[in-house]
Amino acid sequence: MDNVVELNNVTKQFKDFSVKDLNLQVKRGFVHGFIGANGAGKSTTIKMMMNLLKPDAGEVKVFDLDYKKYEKTIKERIGFVYDGNVFYEGLNLKDIKRIVAPAYKHWDNALFSHYTSQFELPMNKSIKNFSKGMQMKASLAVALSHHAELIIMDEPTAGLDPIFRRELLGLLQELMIDGNRTIFFSTHITTDLDRIADYIAFIHKGKLIFDKSVHDVAENYAIVKGRTDLLDQDTEQAFFHIHRAATGFEGLTDDVRNAERTFGGEVVIERASLEDIMYYVKGGLQHV
Amino acid sequence: MFNLIRRDVILQKKQLLLFVPFTLFFVLLGKQNPAFIFLLASLFVPINTFAYDEKVEVNILLNSLPYKRSEIIASRYLGAIVYMLLATGVTCGLFYALSRPFTITDIAISSGLFLLFTALFFPVSYVIKKGYVFPVAMISFLALSIIGPKIVFHFADDLKVITDFVTSLSTPIFYIGLTLSILIIYVVSWMITTFIYQRKGF
Amino acid sequence: MQIIISNSSKEPIYEQITNQIKSSILTGELQEGSPIPSMRKLAKDLQISVITTKRAYEELEKAGFIYSIVGKGSFVAEQNLEVIKEKKLKVVEEQLNEVIMNSREIGLSLDELQQLLKILYEE
Repeated sequence: MDNVVELNNVTKQFKDFSVKDLNLQVKRGFVHGFIGANGAGKSTTIKMMMNLLKPDAGEVKVFDLDYKKYEKTIKERIGFVYDGNVFYEGLNLKDIKRIVAPAYKHWDNALFSHYTSQFELPMNKSIKNFSKGMQMKASLAVALSHHAELIIMDEPTAGLDPIFRRELLGLLQELMIDGNRTIFFSTHITTDLDRIADYIAFIHKGKLIFDKSVHDVAENYAIVKGRTDLLDQDTEQAFFHIHRAATGFEGLTDDVRNAERTFGGEVVIERASLEDIMYYVKGGLQHV
Repeated sequence: MFNLIRRDVILQKKQLLLFVPFTLFFVLLGKQNPAFIFLLASLFVPINTFAYDEKVEVNILLNSLPYKRSEIIASRYLGAIVYMLLATGVTCGLFYALSRPFTITDIAISSGLFLLFTALFFPVSYVIKKGYVFPVAMISFLALSIIGPKIVFHFADDLKVITDFVTSLSTPIFYIGLTLSILIIYVVSWMITTFIYQRKGF
Repeated sequence: MQIIISNSSKEPIYEQITNQIKSSILTGELQEGSPIPSMRKLAKDLQISVITTKRAYEELEKAGFIYSIVGKGSFVAEQNLEVIKEKKLKVVEEQLNEVIMNSREIGLSLDELQQLLKILYEE
């Protein structure tokens, strides 16, 4: 199927941190969630998708095009929302529109007015006096007003109240009625994804742990709970990480069927939430 | 790309309101050399742009919009010329209105110095750390305008060969030569800055 | 078309959808050839991911309950209701046989069983 974004063996080295050998495919028409702890490499990856950072090695393709030749074509078709405000702080929305709108061939003034009134954004107040939520709404209004096919968002929900987060997710779902549109967004609030994500990529310490559909994740990952005496060198192999307590153990597996075969009915197997997965993976990878 | 040049006007609306009284003050004062006033007026917009453009967020914004990096830099270099011409024009108007004397040479000197200054400063501004661009710009400008002439006078004797050569040239050739060398420096600076900017990460 | 999703159910969401659409078709609530919402519209209405409704529709298509025309949407397929009912009847028969076997094991009489069934059915 066609991929909107493709990262092939992408590596970016910093002094004290690196993103290594990243392979990621973002499929057209779906919501792709990007999870990882703070500092795991989410923003770095997104910046490489936006060509704000150039990878040391590997290849970044957006809409099957190369940034070297097609930077403008690519960016015409992307709407972006970043964690912090990137607009000139002293300006109001009217002026920001004056600066941003002429950059896009397909800027739609009516659509922009529609979103600013839907989000109840004041046009004459300078951005620096906006609350965090309003700044985010302003970025979103700009991102949605030029008929972008791909919407890239870096931590759009961080610092937002739960009600607006729900509204935002509803809005994103409305956007997805257009089957040609793709949303890629990073978050460390995994409950954002439970509702709307179709695919989930999980990055940990600069390495991709998985990039799967939500069904694959739900069907393969599980929390196994049982008595500690069931564990030995062999059976431990089934887990990413194991928590031991006086009352028993809890472990995360990425192969439920194998765990079922190994332990039979002697353990309790539960669905692992994304939060569970992040938490256990952070505890350290045992195999892989 | 014209949008990028126009952007400075939107950004600096408030500062632009200050432009006329600021220039007027110096013209009225009448103490400074007209060339110096022209130069101050020309620097008005670009110096503010420097202060804006050192911000990482601004570069993230510009580079996320459908612009090529080479276009962003081109807009700076062309913009500087556009704003220099506009500022010079307005300042001329003020001189006329107040019927103060100035010569074409004043304008030529200020334009030449302005282009030289921006040509030196642009590449540097993309290398030095953020937060330092504005002070560095001010200090180097002051230093250049105070120390610069002294250095020239100091070396005037040593550079007799050159000065002799220069003075032996006819006036038109001298001006053409000067204009050409400034333009070459400007274009080379433009290329260097583009090279630096292409390699930056945000 | 009414679909109620439980987020706390053990049954995966796509199965909840397929089962509810199937039963709407079997009870005749959804008529042959009538359009059903696009998977994207349904995902939005149910506030779930597109891939989940996509999977539900794929399963329904595979089982012959619906069909999709590109650019037009999805529709309830022509059902051979008799055949489906017969199949279901067979399943019911099998399940009842198990019930009878279990009842005999614990000595439940036919009367008692009928009474139990009556209570459960009318519940």
